[in-house]
Amino acid sequence: MNWLRVRELVRKEFIQLFRDKKNRPLLVIAPFVQLLVFGYVLSTDVRDVRVAVLDHSRTRESRMLVDAFDANKTFRIISYPRHAGELEKLLLRRKVDIAVKIDPDFSKRIRRGDSSPIQILADGSMSNMAAVRIAYASLVLDRFNQHMIRELYGQRLDYGRIDARVRTWYNPNLDSRNFFVPGIVAVLIMILSLLLTSMAIIREKEAGTIEQLIVTPLRPIELILGKIIPYIIITQTLMIIVIAFAIVWFSIPLKGSFFLLVAAACLFLLSTLGTGLFISTISATQQQAMMTVFFFILPFFMFSGFVFPIASMPTAIQWLTYLNPLRYFLVIIRGVFLKGVGFEVLWPQFLALLVLGIIVFTSAVKRFRKRLD
Amino acid sequence: MNPLHVKAIARKEFYHLIRDFRSLYLAFIMPLLLIFMFGYALSLDVDNVRTVIVDQDKTALSRDFIRKLNASAYFEIIRHLDDSRAAVRYLDQGVTTMVIVIPPGWTQDLTADRETSVQILLDGSDPNFAGLSRGYITAFVEAYNRDRLLSFLNRKGRETIEPPVDGRIRVWFNEDLDSRNFIVPGIIAIIIMIVGAMLTSLVIAREYENGTMETIRSLPIGGGEFLLGKAIPYFLIALTDVLVAVFMGQVLFGVVMKSSFWLMVLASAVYISVALCLGLLISIATKSQLVANQMAILITFLPSLLLSDFVFPVGNMPKIFQILTHVIPATYFIDILNGIYLRSLGFAHLWPSYVILVGMLIILGNIGFAMLKREGM
Repeated sequence: MNWLRVRELVRKEFIQLFRDKKNRPLLVIAPFVQLLVFGYVLSTDVRDVRVAVLDHSRTRESRMLVDAFDANKTFRIISYPRHAGELEKLLLRRKVDIAVKIDPDFSKRIRRGDSSPIQILADGSMSNMAAVRIAYASLVLDRFNQHMIRELYGQRLDYGRIDARVRTWYNPNLDSRNFFVPGIVAVLIMILSLLLTSMAIIREKEAGTIEQLIVTPLRPIELILGKIIPYIIITQTLMIIVIAFAIVWFSIPLKGSFFLLVAAACLFLLSTLGTGLFISTISATQQQAMMTVFFFILPFFMFSGFVFPIASMPTAIQWLTYLNPLRYFLVIIRGVFLKGVGFEVLWPQFLALLVLGIIVFTSAVKRFRKRLD
Repeated sequence: MNPLHVKAIARKEFYHLIRDFRSLYLAFIMPLLLIFMFGYALSLDVDNVRTVIVDQDKTALSRDFIRKLNASAYFEIIRHLDDSRAAVRYLDQGVTTMVIVIPPGWTQDLTADRETSVQILLDGSDPNFAGLSRGYITAFVEAYNRDRLLSFLNRKGRETIEPPVDGRIRVWFNEDLDSRNFIVPGIIAIIIMIVGAMLTSLVIAREYENGTMETIRSLPIGGGEFLLGKAIPYFLIALTDVLVAVFMGQVLFGVVMKSSFWLMVLASAVYISVALCLGLLISIATKSQLVANQMAILITFLPSLLLSDFVFPVGNMPKIFQILTHVIPATYFIDILNGIYLRSLGFAHLWPSYVILVGMLIILGNIGFAMLKREGM
């Protein structure tokens, strides 16, 4: 192995990459745009639930119920339709998320000591959010009931109530951004490194210059290193900038060690660069390579727990996710960012990344060398 | 416009596709994979929250509480521990997302009719997951309280009181609250963007890169004919993909359209055309496959995934992004799909979205035409 030759190849790669003006936005702007858009847009927070109330009763009790909803900061009553048709139209047109219908004899029944039904119609189309909204609505009703019982029966009901004291750790305000932004950093690294390495080699193939590289005294391993080192440098630099940006711009807390993140990224790059190399051996054109990269990115992305919780997947698929390097990197990056945990907690993930990385990388290199010979 | 010219270009493009077996293969396999992934494996719904119990009371009553918890479909108790510090380690490692601590003296308090508590530690990193878990556990405790209240009243010899308000919650449009029912239709929009815009973003750039654009320019072919010819093969592929996706969603995953099938086909045809126009525009503008591919991801694929009310609600976004969603074609297509799949709306309700999509198509088509003209076609 001759490091001088590797260095020259690295230099050539850098020159080629930055000379092309069109590459600059791709390398510099795209990651930031993605971070910004993702950071602002990815959110499944349940707040500001739009409510319509159809109050046929118009009594003190019904107003108390409406106030109970209004006082809850999750709900915002935006409309008081006059009849049921109007209410249903609001739901159909997606103007409201929840509709509350109070019957005319609402108060009469309550004062008689009966149970008075009220109808709550929830738009279930986004099921995960609907479930949370429904849970909040039932909570409002439960509290209202307790209040009414006390008022109706005029006594304290000390029956040994259990108070559920929920304390939310790591991300106490359940802020989606704290969850997604660190994940985006991981995804960006994956996309960039996969795409850049595979394209770097395919470009030579398409332009026919790979033949020239082969006839030079470069040995295959030097060629591979020369093609990979620039992208390690670029992705690591970008990662550092992007993380700094995330911390400053989105004020995401970084509770753990930054160094640990860089170390994890290096291990993670083993897998992604290996995969990129592999893709370059099975594709002939840039279009093919792009499609194949996409083909790899999608399952990596979807089965990593980035958006869709792994715990909600079928068991067989859950086992498959153990083969996904992004899964481990996400656990590490989120653990370091949000939980502030260190190596003593995250070592299984590091180990998994290392093993996966070595396997993927060495087999890709083997295949690549065979292709060259 | 000469149909023969269009046909010739379409045939040429079709050969390109057929010869590049992988593109064709991926154009069909990718959609299948997506539908399969989302229909079968991916869900935003939460059940069986992995729970660690720290029972510091250890009485018949606390065990009864735990048994009821475990019997619920929402929780799965994976460990019983004695020490809450050990439980915290499970939380740190991400092995569990919820720890429930029953404090010592719990049963004593309850039997003496004193208010007591259970402590619930929740991993909030994933807000969607944590929000659902929190909803489930508070609802569970409230339900447990209701039972206790009733038995308390029985003990006091009073006839049972009914809860004053009986909330009858009905879920509309997605009655069983299955995320599949809104994700699978949404996937159709994503597939169209992948096949329509991302594949086509490469086709004219390729001509430029290979230098064959010169040849085409010298042919007696108009810009419109060229665009149309380039688009037709991809249009057919995308439409086939849509039909396959609809069929799979229905047969394998029971995601059924509530209103007209033809309305859906019409919307898809218009939306595919918009996607193709976008892809071709990008292709003409960038003239480089690599850049075109990046642009296509950035301005067609990602927005249709993120800014279209697909999984991430528009209402949660900052104002500027909310405004941006209005110029994204996917917003209108997803609106139509949502209406057809979930709300059983007809054309009478959905026509504004159709009109806007057609308008976008006309504008984009004209821009593409003008750009080609400037290129000398």
